[in-house]
Amino acid sequence: MATYDWLFSSLGLEEWCGQGKSGAPMSMADLLAKSKGDEAQEESLWDLPFPSMDALNESCAAFPKSRELTKGLEDGFLNIKDSLSLVLDPITQPLSWGLDGALYAMLNTPWWLVIPIMLAIVFLVSRSWKLVAFVAIAIGSLAFIDHYDYAMQTLAIIFVCAFLCVLLGVPIGIAMARSDWLQRSAIPVLDMLQTLPPFVYLIPLIFLFSVTESKLYGIAIILYAIVPVVRLTDLGIRLVDKEVIEAADAFGMTPRQKLFKVQIPLALPNIMAGVNQTIMMSLAMVVIASLVSAPGLGVLVLRGIRNLELGVGLVSGLGIVLLAVILDRVTKASLARVNAAQKQ
Amino acid sequence: MAKNVKISIRNLYKIFGPEPDVALEYVQRGMTKPELLEQQNHVLGLRDINVDIHEGEITVIMGLSGSGKSTLIRHLNRLIDPTSGEVRVDGKDILNFSEETLRKLRRTTMSMVFQKFALLPHKTVVENAGLSWEIGGQTQKDYEDEARKWLARVGLEGNEEQYPHQLSGGMQQRVGIARALVSNAPIMLMDEAFSALDPLIRSDMQDLLLELQEELHKTIVFITHDLDEALKLADHLVILKEGEVVQQGDPQDILLNPNDPYIVDFVSDINRARVLRVRSVMTEARSDDEYAGEVVENDNLESVLAKSEGDVSLVYRVVRDGETVGRLSMLDLTKALVPTEGASR
Repeated sequence: MATYDWLFSSLGLEEWCGQGKSGAPMSMADLLAKSKGDEAQEESLWDLPFPSMDALNESCAAFPKSRELTKGLEDGFLNIKDSLSLVLDPITQPLSWGLDGALYAMLNTPWWLVIPIMLAIVFLVSRSWKLVAFVAIAIGSLAFIDHYDYAMQTLAIIFVCAFLCVLLGVPIGIAMARSDWLQRSAIPVLDMLQTLPPFVYLIPLIFLFSVTESKLYGIAIILYAIVPVVRLTDLGIRLVDKEVIEAADAFGMTPRQKLFKVQIPLALPNIMAGVNQTIMMSLAMVVIASLVSAPGLGVLVLRGIRNLELGVGLVSGLGIVLLAVILDRVTKASLARVNAAQKQ
Repeated sequence: MAKNVKISIRNLYKIFGPEPDVALEYVQRGMTKPELLEQQNHVLGLRDINVDIHEGEITVIMGLSGSGKSTLIRHLNRLIDPTSGEVRVDGKDILNFSEETLRKLRRTTMSMVFQKFALLPHKTVVENAGLSWEIGGQTQKDYEDEARKWLARVGLEGNEEQYPHQLSGGMQQRVGIARALVSNAPIMLMDEAFSALDPLIRSDMQDLLLELQEELHKTIVFITHDLDEALKLADHLVILKEGEVVQQGDPQDILLNPNDPYIVDFVSDINRARVLRVRSVMTEARSDDEYAGEVVENDNLESVLAKSEGDVSLVYRVVRDGETVGRLSMLDLTKALVPTEGASR
C-alpha cells in the first residue's frame, strides 16, 4: 500500500492502474527497498511524500515514473536524430572545412611567418607598440615552453568561431532591432543559450555528429558565444540617438542608407563590445570543448585533470589566461579607437 | 510684400493614441484636450490648424512646451502623419506622396535644422555638411566645394576636417545650418534650432540667420518658445496653445492687439520699446506738421525715444528710402508703450 492509493480509487481508475507495468529501468531506491524487504510502516503526516510521478507510480503501476520522462526525451531525440543529421550535416559541413583549414594553415605555416603576421594585425587594429610588444613576449614565452602548437590550435578555433559568430550574430541583431516581435521571441532563446551549462550543449551534439568531426565542437562554441554579439548589436542599434535618425529621415535617406550610413556606424562601439565578449566566451568554451576532441590548450588541461599532472594543467591554464588577456586587450584597443572617433 | 503661398496647412488634426480616428470625431464635435485625455485616453496634438507659409518669409511658430509646435513642424515634411487635414507644398498635397516622392521632396525641397544638432558623430564637418548630396548618391569630390563654401559662409572656415564632438554647441549648430544650406532646398525647417545654445551665442546665430535670409530669401519655418526670438525673426508669427492657433499675423500687430489673455501674458514681459517699430505706430502724414527730425520706418521705438530725449511734444517724419511715408508723434509712441490691459496684474 502506498500513500496515494486513495486518489486512484476515488477516481475509479484502479482497473486502469492494474493493467500497466512501468517499463522504466529500476532505480537505486527501488533496489534498496527491495533488498530491505517490505516492512509495513506506519505512515505519519510528517513523511507525506510530494505527489510526484514516482510516488504516484507506487500507488498505480500504470502511472509513468519520472525516469520515463527523460527516457521519452531520449527516445524521441534518437528517433529524429537520423533525419535531423541528414539536414544538419550538409549545412554545417563548411564549418568543419573552415576549422580544419584554419588548424592546418596555422600549424603548417612556419612560426617565423605566423608570429610576425599576428603582430602586424595587432598593430593594425590597436596602433599601439606597447601592446605589440606585450603580445610578442606572451607568444614568445608560450612558444619557448613548447606550447606554441597548442596555443595556435586554440587561436585558430577561436578565430573561425568568432568570425562566424559575428557573421551570423550581427544580422540577427539588426533584424531584432528592427522588429519588436522578433526581439521578444529571440530574447528567451538567447537567455537560454547563455545560461544553459556549457556541457549540456555537448550532449545532443554528440548524438548528432561523429566525435571525429570538428564541426561538433565548432557548433557548441558558436551556440555559446554568439549571444553577446547578437544582444549588443540589437541594443546598439536601438540606442542610436532618435534625433540623428530623425535627421536622416528629414534629409530623405532610404531605410538601407539609414542602416549602413547611420545605424551601424553609430552602433559600432556596442557591436565591438559584443565582439569582445564573444571572443572571450569562445575561449571559455574551447577549453570545455576539448572533451569532445577540440585540440589546443584545453587538451592539456584535460590531461592535467585526468592524469593528475598538476604542472601540465597549471601551465596550460596559465597559457589560456595569457591568450585571454591578449585577445581582450587587442579587441578593447580597437574598440577604444572606434569610440574615440565618434564620441558625442 | 505680396508673396506666393509656399506651404499651406488646411484643417490639420493630429491625435495620439491607439484609435485616433474615433477620437477625431469627438474632437470635431468640440471635446477639449483635457476631456479627451480623461474620457478617451487620447492626446490631442493639433486641432484644426490653418496656416499659410509665404515664400521668402520667416514664419515663426511659437508656443510653450506641449503646445504642439514641434509636432506641427514635423507634419511639413511628414516625419509625422496627420490624423486628418492636408499639407500642400507648392500646391501639391504631400499626404498623397509615395515613399519615393516624399524622399525626393525631403532631399530637394526641404531641409531641417534640429534643436540638438543631430550631426553624424562619425563624419567630419565637411562630410556632415554634404549629407544631402551624399544621400543623393554623390561623392565627397562632388560636394566638397559647395560644402566648404557654405561652411565658410556660416563662419566655420578651417574646421572642415574636425569631428562634431570637437566643436562647441554654437559651432555644431552652424554645421547644422550649413548642412541645410548645402542641400540648396528652398524651404528650411528649424526646430528650436537655437534653444540649446546660451544667450549670447543664440543672439549671434539669430543675426547670422537674418543675414543669410537677406541674401537667400528662403522660406523658413522657425519653431521657438522664446518670444524675444520670435519677435526678432518673424515676418509672420503663429502662436500655438494646446494644439490650437490662438493668433497669427504680423508680429507687431499681435503685440499691439493681442486677442487672447494667453498672449497678453506672453507679451507683458517683453521690452516693447525695443520690439515695436516706427511703422507700426506711425500715422498718416499731415501737411501742417513741424518735424523735429527724421526717423526710418524700421527703427525701433527705443531709438526714437533716445533721440527725442523724452520730449513728448515732438513729431517726427517717417521715411522709407528717403521718401516720407508718415508721421510719428511722441504722444502716439508713448501710448503704444503702455502695456496691454490685463497684462499688469
